[in-house]
Amino acid sequence: MGVVVGAALVAFGCSDDSDGSDDGGDPNDLDLLTQVLETNADLAVAMYSDSIDTAEDLETALEALVANPSQGTLDAARRAWLIAEEPYGYTEVYRFRQSPIDDRDYLGPEEEGRPELDLNAWPLAEALIDYVVSGTDFGDDQLLGVEGHGTGVADPIGQNTIINSIDIPIDAALLANTTVTPDERDVVAGYHAIEFLLWGQDLNENGSADTLDDRDSTPGNRPWTDFATDVNCTSGTEAADTVICERRGQFVLVAVQKLISDLTEVRDAWEPGATYREAFTNPEDLDGAKRRLLEILTGMGTLAEGELAGERMQIALSANSQEDEHSCFSDNTHRDILTNGEGIRLLYIGDYLGYDSDLDGTIDATGRAVQGYGIDDYLQDLGLGDLADETLAAFAVTQEAYEAIDALARAGTPVDNQIADAFSEDARPMRETIVALNAEAQRFVQIAEALLVGTLDDVIQDDASACDTTDPTSEC
Amino acid sequence: MRRRVPAGGRPPRARARRWGGAAAALAFGAFVVLGTLGSGCKRAAAPPLRASEKLPGGATSVSFEPRPLFFLPAANLGSNDRPDFYAGKALAGQPWIKAPSSTDARDGLGPLYNARTCLACHDKGGRAEVQSKDGPLLRGTLVRLSLPGFDPRLGVVPEPTYGSQLQGQSIALAHQLRAVPGVAGALPAKIPPEATPNVEWLEQRYTYPDGREVALRRPRISIENLAYGELAPNTRVGLRHAPPLHGLGLLELVDQHDIDRLADPEDRDGDGISGRVNQVWDPVTRTTRPGRFGLKANQPNLRVQVAAAFHGDIGITSSVFPELPCTPAQAECAKAPHGAKAGDPEIPDDLLSLVVNFSRSIGVPRRRKPDHPLVRRGRERFYESGCASCHAPRFVTGSDARFPHLSAQEIWPYSDLLLHDMGEALADGRTDYLASGAEWRTAPLWGVGLARAIHRDAGLLHDGRARTVEEAILWHDGEARSSRERFTSLPLEERKALLAFVRSL
Repeated sequence: MGVVVGAALVAFGCSDDSDGSDDGGDPNDLDLLTQVLETNADLAVAMYSDSIDTAEDLETALEALVANPSQGTLDAARRAWLIAEEPYGYTEVYRFRQSPIDDRDYLGPEEEGRPELDLNAWPLAEALIDYVVSGTDFGDDQLLGVEGHGTGVADPIGQNTIINSIDIPIDAALLANTTVTPDERDVVAGYHAIEFLLWGQDLNENGSADTLDDRDSTPGNRPWTDFATDVNCTSGTEAADTVICERRGQFVLVAVQKLISDLTEVRDAWEPGATYREAFTNPEDLDGAKRRLLEILTGMGTLAEGELAGERMQIALSANSQEDEHSCFSDNTHRDILTNGEGIRLLYIGDYLGYDSDLDGTIDATGRAVQGYGIDDYLQDLGLGDLADETLAAFAVTQEAYEAIDALARAGTPVDNQIADAFSEDARPMRETIVALNAEAQRFVQIAEALLVGTLDDVIQDDASACDTTDPTSEC
Repeated sequence: MRRRVPAGGRPPRARARRWGGAAAALAFGAFVVLGTLGSGCKRAAAPPLRASEKLPGGATSVSFEPRPLFFLPAANLGSNDRPDFYAGKALAGQPWIKAPSSTDARDGLGPLYNARTCLACHDKGGRAEVQSKDGPLLRGTLVRLSLPGFDPRLGVVPEPTYGSQLQGQSIALAHQLRAVPGVAGALPAKIPPEATPNVEWLEQRYTYPDGREVALRRPRISIENLAYGELAPNTRVGLRHAPPLHGLGLLELVDQHDIDRLADPEDRDGDGISGRVNQVWDPVTRTTRPGRFGLKANQPNLRVQVAAAFHGDIGITSSVFPELPCTPAQAECAKAPHGAKAGDPEIPDDLLSLVVNFSRSIGVPRRRKPDHPLVRRGRERFYESGCASCHAPRFVTGSDARFPHLSAQEIWPYSDLLLHDMGEALADGRTDYLASGAEWRTAPLWGVGLARAIHRDAGLLHDGRARTVEEAILWHDGEARSSRERFTSLPLEERKALLAFVRSL
């Protein structure tokens, strides 16, 4: 946070004076700025609500899978999962700004629990949940003495996992308790836990998990019989006790219920009348409103430059690890990148029309469409039309780049293959998207400079009675 | 314990001579301008305020709006270098997981460990919480173990069964599900966590000469649930609070000569303050070099520091530390799946470099209200009280073509990066290379005022016992005693001013 915008403020922190209100409207117009904040909150409600709807569709599909395991119900559940990811991908631009997705104590100084950790955290602790293939990730010499790995071949039955530990009930308490340990914990809940249960590991052509062997272009291929609650029950290629398959069914249902509940909590905090929403859209004064705009820009910049371009894409190219991608089991990472990128753009223009509800690559209208007052509208009204247009142009470059990733994946080269060689032609859209996201983030810096300069330096009041942990003159 | 003091070291001598009454009396009387170094003048009136002081990290300095963070890229980090910065941050901040996993660049956690990410303990790049209640220690702190003695390669003599660090976490499913009712006993625990370290806070009060009282606390550590047998007799136990990460690359580029010039191992100037350079083993170059990083200046450079943390804290092997964190007494630990092919490190050199460069390029937060009258007055008191003797204010970094954003920067870290004897109350008897059990490296003060904005229960000092800057000052003893006494003798309003200055850094 403050990644992009921080640089801007530093650059101007020492300048003597700065007057950004020369042409056009008045940047001190609290009413206009409040419209930006209202639109921002309306978009959040719409996007999170669509995320909940699609998660409920996923729940229905998972119930069908558990009740009637078959290739058909497994395929339908996978499709429902892919659709559920579409609107959620947009919402990630609400992260990195202490909004409800990252902080249950919205107004307090400290993060109080992060729903995001239970919703979409990564990497998943798959080896704790269900069987994994040892592959050639470690040598045979290291397998000696490891329970279930005596031969170096996967032994899905003997592994010490949640699914295999039949004395441990799989219920809401299991996930709830596992995710509340205060110091450190595994990621065992959220979208990617369900993804792992639906697809299984995405292995190479030789069946190993190893990075350097031949990558195939298909996602994980868990057999539907992993959910069969009769004699057909399997753990991968091996027959398994019925109870193991029942436990997988229990796990996905518990996981999707928690997912819906966590999403609902976040959405509700954005609803009109909710504490967070009211605080966000009713700033105490102009400085307060500017701080909130800075929060929006910080979330956009941090997602663009930090999280997406750096922590998700650059590291995947650097690590050259096949599954170092967000949706590694389903090979859906091209959509994660695209919807994240789109979410940033949508927050800028203040419009949300819908999401791809049938996976054909185009947007379908949602009943929750919002056409609001975006940051671009605000810039135009302030007479900063050039900056507004330049920013739109930057978005267009990024859009073209991540759409190329999407097109390549749809044509049969998923992201895990695109990143196989960071300097290859297949990796070019990834490289170009990273560059474009950084350029886009620089525009956010310019916006912060144009709108906020010379104000936030002074937001810390001289009133020493208030306890402000950043204020050296205040005793806390 | 016997150890040879090499050239540059300090021969043992009577404590009284170092901070005895004579030195203190002298200090009270005269503000002697001793140094002409850029780092400031000992016990002198404050030099004129420079504009550069507002940006403690020079051009790397970053904003604290809308919220302070200690893992932002240096403001002047080029856009071409930013993706790699964030790639390094990903490896420092996203969880390491149990092997084998599909994300094979991220697996290999443990088997025994303290945290699964760097940023768990270095919360947002700063200090995480110190448990304020009595009970098990969680993130933010860890317990170091050693036997009396000196090892030229390790700095300490590790406890034979548990090693030099107590690891309270393990990859065992039973441990990972420990918060789930009914799990205890239902699952086998082949690789149990080493133990549960507990802290008990002992309260005490400090009374100023003017009668005002301040509550202080100090930790008493007890170790329960030892899973691999008793600790060796005579084991020394030390609590450690993870320090913040910002500005490390700037400190790395400070010329060793500039640090050596501040050292006064024999206390030739008779001010009661020695200042010593630790001499530590560099496993990469396989030579003994000056120590600079770590609470006891026991690491020679950032690469070794980061690799050591990956190894000891997360259980990730590297080319620098290729062995799993399992002692000979922990056979099951040593047999657990490895996060890489046999013989390969779990974090390869190129990815380790990403994390090192991430930590290297974190910007330093800009100062808050440097021009406030209270802060400016506090600055005067800070220098006059002699704080700047060890909290050396200013350096100019050297140049490194690989890191132009860190090169030739005028910086204000407020640390001489030297070891100082801080007295018995802070000592834990654990020697580390040349550092005695009472010696600690001067903590840089830049950003210290934001520690509690990062985490409200962050602590100061090596074990996090101090909850405020004031408490930290009151624990200063040994070589810092005369400065502390000058502080406590100030009128309340002047003390407040000095504290405001430190918090503004």
